[in-house]
Amino acid sequence: MMKNVQILSFLVIFILGGFTLGFYYTQALEGTVNISAEVPSPPPPPGGGGGVYIPPPIETKVIIEGKAYPGSEVHILKDGKETTTTKADSKANFKKEITGITPGICTFAIWVEDKDGIKSITYTLTFRVISNVITTVSGIFLPPTIDIDKTSLPKGEVLNIFGQTVPEVEVNVHVSSSEIVTTTTSDEIGAWLLPFNTEPLDEGAHITKARFQFNAEETSGFGKVLTFYVGEKAVPFEEIYSRVDFNGDDRINLVDFSILLSWWKKPNPQYDLNQNGIVDLADFSILLSCWTG
Amino acid sequence: MQNLKIQFKIKVLYFLFVVFIFLFLGFNFCQAVVLYLEPSNGDYQPGDTFLTEIKIDTQECINIVEANLSFSQDILDAINFSQGESILTIWIKPPTIDQSLGLISFIGGIPGGYCGKIPGDPGPSNLLGKIIFRIPEITVREVGENIAKVKFLESSQVLLNDMLGTKAKLTTQGAEFKILSEKSEIPKDEWQKELEKDNIPPEPFEIEIHQDSLIFEGKYFIIFSTTDKQTGIDYYEIREGKRDWKKVSSPYLLEDQSLKSKILVRAVDKAKNERIAEYAPPISKKPFLYPYWIFILILIGIGIWHWLYKKSKIKYKY
Repeated sequence: MMKNVQILSFLVIFILGGFTLGFYYTQALEGTVNISAEVPSPPPPPGGGGGVYIPPPIETKVIIEGKAYPGSEVHILKDGKETTTTKADSKANFKKEITGITPGICTFAIWVEDKDGIKSITYTLTFRVISNVITTVSGIFLPPTIDIDKTSLPKGEVLNIFGQTVPEVEVNVHVSSSEIVTTTTSDEIGAWLLPFNTEPLDEGAHITKARFQFNAEETSGFGKVLTFYVGEKAVPFEEIYSRVDFNGDDRINLVDFSILLSWWKKPNPQYDLNQNGIVDLADFSILLSCWTG
Repeated sequence: MQNLKIQFKIKVLYFLFVVFIFLFLGFNFCQAVVLYLEPSNGDYQPGDTFLTEIKIDTQECINIVEANLSFSQDILDAINFSQGESILTIWIKPPTIDQSLGLISFIGGIPGGYCGKIPGDPGPSNLLGKIIFRIPEITVREVGENIAKVKFLESSQVLLNDMLGTKAKLTTQGAEFKILSEKSEIPKDEWQKELEKDNIPPEPFEIEIHQDSLIFEGKYFIIFSTTDKQTGIDYYEIREGKRDWKKVSSPYLLEDQSLKSKILVRAVDKAKNERIAEYAPPISKKPFLYPYWIFILILIGIGIWHWLYKKSKIKYKY
C-alpha cells in the first residue's frame, strides 16, 4: 500500500514537473510587456450654482513606455504608419502618450536608431483599445542593436561584435552554429563591445545575436541576427535593410511594398530577396520584418 | 511474486515513458501556429445570416497569413468578408469569395509582425477577418443531415517575422454547422446588426504622390491605405479633377501626369461610411507684374502736364 502511494506520488511529481518545465520555457521566451487599462475619474464639478453637471467625455488614450537607447529617437507606428516620435532619456527610458485613437484592435510598432545609425528591429504590439479608457503598455525592452566589423575572417581571428543598449546592463551575445554564449556589460551610454575569438568555430557560416538582462527576472528579446563566415571564402555582404529599401529613401514602407507587389510571382533577382527564383510570399515576409513606416 | 513486482515496475516505467513523450509532443504542439474558426459549430435555420471569425493563436512572431478555405457551397452562401478589426493591415491579395467553387481566400500581412497575446490585453485581438454566411431558403440536399463544413485547405500558410521568410508549423481547425430543415423562429441577421452599429468612418489617411523608375515606367502614381475598425474597408474610389469617381486600388497610375488636377480618394466601409483624402496641386505663383498700361498713362499724364506747363510759361512771357 505504501509503495503504491510512493509510486503515485512520484508520478504526480513527474507530471507536474514536466508541465512546470514546459511552462517555464514558454515564460522565458515571453517579454516583459504588460497592458493595464484605467478609467480616469472625471474632474469635479466647478463650485457654485445649481443645475446638473455633465462631466466632459474621457478621451481614449494609449501610453507607451519602456527602454530603448540613451538619447535615441523612438519612432512609433500605428497600423503600419508612423504616428509620432519621442526621445529616450540618458537612462534609455521613454514614454509617450498617444491620443486621437479609434477604439478597436490596434497594432503599434516601435523602432529606434542608435548613436551609430544602426537600426533596431521593429518591435510590434497588437492589442485592443477600449473606448474612453487610458491603456498603458509598459515593460517594452527594445533589444540591443548589433553589428560586426567583418563578415568573413580566418579561423582564430577576433571578430568584434558591438552595439548599443540600456546603460550598465549585462549583454548576452550568442554565437551559433555551436551555441556559445558570452557576456559583456554596456557602459554608461549603453555601448557594448565583445571581441570574439573565432578559434572554437568550425569553418563555414555562423550567426550571432544579442539580448540584455535588466535584472534576475527581466530580459529583452533578441535583436537582429547577423551572419558571418569563418574561413578563406570571401562573402560579399549587403545589409538586409539596404536590399529591401528598393527606392533608397532610407525607409521601408508602402512604397517598397508597392514596388514588390508589381513583381508578384515574377522572376527578378533584385526583388527576389531570398533568391529562390521568384518574387513570392517569403520576399514579402522579409520586407514586412524590416518595416519602418 | 517477484515476477509480478518486475512486471508492475515495467508497466510503471512504460507509463512514465508514454507520459514523457506526450509532454514533449504537447510542448512542441504548443509551439505551432493555429488558424481556427470561431464559432466552430452551431445550429442554423434557412434564412439565418451569421458570422464566423477567422483567428490565429501563436507563440512565435509571424507577419504573413495566406488562408484558403473551402465551404459547402450547396447549402451555405458566403455573402461577404469583413476586414474590420483584422490585425492584417496590408493586403497582398484582398479577400475573395468564389461561391460556385466554395472557396474563400486572402493573403495579408502585418508590418513588424504579430507575436501573440500580451498579458493584460482586454482582447480579443487575434482576429484575421469575419466570414458572413447565409443559409439559403432552399437547400439542395434532400437526403441526410445537412451539415455545412468550412475548412482550411492545405495550401494555407503562415510565415515567421524572422527576416528569412520561414514558414511556420501550422495547425488548422475548421467548423461544422448544422442546418435545420425547418424554420422555428424569425431568421436572425447578425451582419445587419453589425452594419447598423457602425457609424464611424474609416481612419484618416493621406494620398502620397510618387515617381519611381522601378514602377509604372517612371510615371506619377499614388499610394494610399487606411483601415476601418468596425465593419472594414469595402472599396476605394478616386476622382482626378472633374473626372468621374471610379473604383481603384493602391498603387494607382495617375491619368493626369501633369499633376495639375485636384485628387480625391474616398475610402468606403461596408456600412457605407466614407472618409475622403485630398491632394490639392500647389497654386503656381507668377511674379507679380504691375499692369504696364498704368505706366503708359502716367507717362502720358506727365507729358501733358509738361506741355501745359510750358504753354502757360510762354503765355506769361508774352
